[in-house]
Amino acid sequence: MALAAVFGYLSRFTTVPSSMTESVRATLDDDVLVRIRGLTTVLGGKTIFDQLDMDIPRGKITAIMGPSGTGKTTLLKHITGQMRADAGEIRVDGRNVAELSREQLYKLREGIGYLFQNSALLTDFDVFENVAFPLRQHTQLPEELIRNLVLLKLQAVGLRGAAPLMPSELSGGMARRVALARAIVFDPMLILYDEPFVGLDPVALNQVLRLISTLNQTLGITSVLVAHELAAVRQIAQHVFLIANGKVVAQGDPKTIADDGSPWTRQFFGGEADGPVPFQYPAGDYAQALGFAGVVK
Amino acid sequence: MSQKRSSYAVGTGLFIVFGFTALAYLATQTTSVANVHMGASYTIEANFANVGQLKERAPVKVAGVRVGQVQSITLAPGKEIAEVKLAIDKRYETIPVDSVASIFTSGLLGDQYVGIQYGNSKKDVADGGTLALTKPAQQLEEMLGKFFGAGGVADNLGGTYSVTANFTNVGSLSVGAPVKMAGVAIGSVQSVQADPVKLDARVTLAIDKRFNQIPDDSAAAVFTSGLIGTQYVAIQPGGSLDALKDGDEMILTQSAMQLEDLIGKFLVNGSPGDKTNAGTGKSSDTPAGKH
Amino acid sequence: MNARGRQEGNAVTQALAQIGLCGLFLLTLLAAVPRSFRYVRETIRQLWFVGAMSLTIIMVCGLFVGMVLMLQLYHVLSIFGGTSASGMVVALSVYRELGPVITALLFAGRAGTSITAEIGLMRATDQIDAMELMAVDPIAYVATPRFLAGVIAMPLLACVFCAMAIFGGHLVGVSWLGIDNGTFWSNMTAEVDVHTDIVNGVLFKSLAFGAVVSLIAVFQGFTTPPTSEGVAYATTRTVVASSIAILALDFVLTAFLM
Repeated sequence: MALAAVFGYLSRFTTVPSSMTESVRATLDDDVLVRIRGLTTVLGGKTIFDQLDMDIPRGKITAIMGPSGTGKTTLLKHITGQMRADAGEIRVDGRNVAELSREQLYKLREGIGYLFQNSALLTDFDVFENVAFPLRQHTQLPEELIRNLVLLKLQAVGLRGAAPLMPSELSGGMARRVALARAIVFDPMLILYDEPFVGLDPVALNQVLRLISTLNQTLGITSVLVAHELAAVRQIAQHVFLIANGKVVAQGDPKTIADDGSPWTRQFFGGEADGPVPFQYPAGDYAQALGFAGVVK
Repeated sequence: MSQKRSSYAVGTGLFIVFGFTALAYLATQTTSVANVHMGASYTIEANFANVGQLKERAPVKVAGVRVGQVQSITLAPGKEIAEVKLAIDKRYETIPVDSVASIFTSGLLGDQYVGIQYGNSKKDVADGGTLALTKPAQQLEEMLGKFFGAGGVADNLGGTYSVTANFTNVGSLSVGAPVKMAGVAIGSVQSVQADPVKLDARVTLAIDKRFNQIPDDSAAAVFTSGLIGTQYVAIQPGGSLDALKDGDEMILTQSAMQLEDLIGKFLVNGSPGDKTNAGTGKSSDTPAGKH
Repeated sequence: MNARGRQEGNAVTQALAQIGLCGLFLLTLLAAVPRSFRYVRETIRQLWFVGAMSLTIIMVCGLFVGMVLMLQLYHVLSIFGGTSASGMVVALSVYRELGPVITALLFAGRAGTSITAEIGLMRATDQIDAMELMAVDPIAYVATPRFLAGVIAMPLLACVFCAMAIFGGHLVGVSWLGIDNGTFWSNMTAEVDVHTDIVNGVLFKSLAFGAVVSLIAVFQGFTTPPTSEGVAYATTRTVVASSIAILALDFVLTAFLM
């Protein structure tokens, strides 16, 4: 595979992060890439996660779903070490994220790709330089090799021809594909997708969908997907977690999870307006708020 | 891409070089560091008993017109004499050997400069030669009053016509100084030039067209506004029936009085009939101002 | 750095909290200086944006400040017959006060706001988070290069400003009002001292102003809420806070250096 050749070439340069090569070897026998135990997070007085446990399997596409505001994006930030949890433990590839020093954390992040909802391309640079950015920052590869690597990744997302464009000239779907090319330029072991389908037209949505599953199948990259699009998730995800009230309320195969009978899955996959997720935001007594309390009694 | 990057680098480099050039310029040309060099074409020396506040690069004037600048001021070792080197423009290199170099002050608070009064000798001072006759700077305390006059600047809105006047000495009269009649501004000084032949100062006055009835025998005098004010040209009307026209020359002039020349002299308001040059008498004992 | 958090209490405690956070942010910036040596290209690029791109406004303003200063001084000094000193007064007032202060104010308006807006937008569009996740330290890559570029650019800009002001003063004084060229320079060179006026006046002050303005600009950019209103508000705050800081610091520095 082309990747293996490139990887072999890269490892001849001392500048390649050693964590990548180590991680590939050290954990082949472990089929869980991200292990979360007892995660508890309180933000602004609100409990986001309450003793959350989760195992994200290696080499698969995992979808994390749940009502808005349940902290799915927060969970991704915990995995990358951007936010520290109040309690609990997150191990990525065997390493405890909370205990890593800044340098170790940065080493870990070189093995993680992250796709932002709004692509987060650097507006100063053109498409080519955006994809080349991580390579330029972490390696001293010759210009020619950088060029080849970048064009390889851009070809993979079908945007080799867009290399000289500036981010402002791209459509939302294209920008997301460029961001994806940038996320995979280091051949990460894990890619986190934060709402990758939001705001895409059906064509662009299917393109991104195909890319995610292709990347997973051909490169074996573990993919974690935070999404609301049920149909899209059903197509590609191999494992689904449903989070609500700070806990995992259901998990399993996307085809069968809807049938487990719990009220959460029934409401969420059935798309009912009211249920365990209340239609009404918690409030005081309605009659009292309108001033009828005494009258009615 | 590398091209784009290097253009930043070049631009930034230019910016840094530009900034440091400005710094170097400020530090060397506008500070005391600057008082070192000067390669003038014609240098003569003059020794003064006292240079007062004279500074390097101060002007050297003949008949009130700048002909060069002070190149250096040094103290002769062991003597109480200041050696002043004057760098003078090549055009004015015919300075008689018996000329007198004096240190004057422009106005009461103004800057000091070296004035050269030509002598009668046929021999000129050679390059590098020394002027034997000098008058030291007068200290402020020794000075007395001066003519008073009114201030103000003429407006030239209605167009002007030019007349010329020759003065033996214009003092510190500068281009743009007002021209006044009866104390009211009617024009301004257009140019002040040294006349290489007559060895005096040729002043061109631009007078407002509205005042076209000035008799052609009027006199022009260089006065000072107040004790420490700037100098201006005063026109004292004569009695002729013919008026001054554009390009005419005013025959009757009265030169600027040097503060130094006024010491001990009675100060009388310059009357229209006064056609002599400023006196140099030093005999009087009653200091007085105009009022 | 992104821990501005929730501030309660009155305006005074909020202002104090801002100053405190700003001070801590300065320490973060300085701690990141060794790490940002890797991104020296980025510093050069920022030097281009904050320095070279500000040249035009600095030069034009310097020229006019010198011209108007000379015009005013000439008319006042002509009352006392002291017009020959006007070149010197222009030089001294420009070196000691106007040069560094006006340059810093212009710099805050021109470069400070663009730094704040740029960083604020980078945060609003997740670019800062993206860098963090690409294992690129945003403090070392975004904040420190801009800060250093500001510190380096300010003294150079102030020098250019002063040179242009002297030129403007010369233009008006010598070419227009007829002050003697030699008098203009001789008075200036007699009174202006390299150490007190150029080093202490121009260089030292503008170095301090450059640090303060770029610190405030970067700090506001990093701590603003990543929304379009937040960015607009932070940009305004950069100008207001910088202006106050410049003038207050100017007073303190002048008192110390005099």
